Amino acid sequence: MNDFVKAMSAAASGMNAQGFRLRVVSENVANTDTPGYHRKTVSFGNVFDNEVGANRVTVGGIKLDESPVEERYDPSNPMANEAGYVEASNVNLMLEMSDGREANRSYEANLATFQQARQMYSSLLDLLKR
Amino acid sequence: MDINAFNAANTYGAAQKLLTPERQSAGVTAPKISDESGFNPEKLVSELSNAVGKSENAATAYMAGRADPHTVVEALASAELAVETAVTLRNKVVEAYQELMRMPV
Repeated sequence: MNDFVKAMSAAASGMNAQGFRLRVVSENVANTDTPGYHRKTVSFGNVFDNEVGANRVTVGGIKLDESPVEERYDPSNPMANEAGYVEASNVNLMLEMSDGREANRSYEANLATFQQARQMYSSLLDLLKR
Repeated sequence: MDINAFNAANTYGAAQKLLTPERQSAGVTAPKISDESGFNPEKLVSELSNAVGKSENAATAYMAGRADPHTVVEALASAELAVETAVTLRNKVVEAYQELMRMPV
């Protein structure tokens, strides 16, 4: 395995991780109005791939954001509890939007390194073709 | 399409066997092609066969819905580069041979 292939492997793992992150973000956004929904957060981990010989990124796990859910006072709502409060989710759309944007930017960065590694190796081979 | 067309890895594997030094039985000692300088054609061929085999596995797994697209793109890109390397080196070797053949004796 040469270093260009390792770079491409690491970039592909990064793209995969950012894709997963975007999935979690869209799940949070989709569940904004779900009563009692706690938003999910993703953590990443570094793992050394022995087969490739490169440090790749993996999804460490999904955790629930344990902050309290938003409660709205609405006694006429059929979902209201005895005190007259309706549970909403603890999803902050502003936070999710910036998280999604960050996933997008990080994905683009990984894509750029992937293309860069491929292009560098191709130009190296072009040197032999002349 | 013939499913055997996907089995290019087998052919590369056969080519790999040809390069293993088992020709001593014919009384001919195989020339030692790898040295300390790091150039190792056997390793190159085995890496090519590995990369192509991996890309085929990834493509079939993706078609069956078992692999993510990033793995497929990565495997296909590395197989493309490996094949390109092999073809470029082969062309160079053939070119050198033809240059020798054109030499007036």
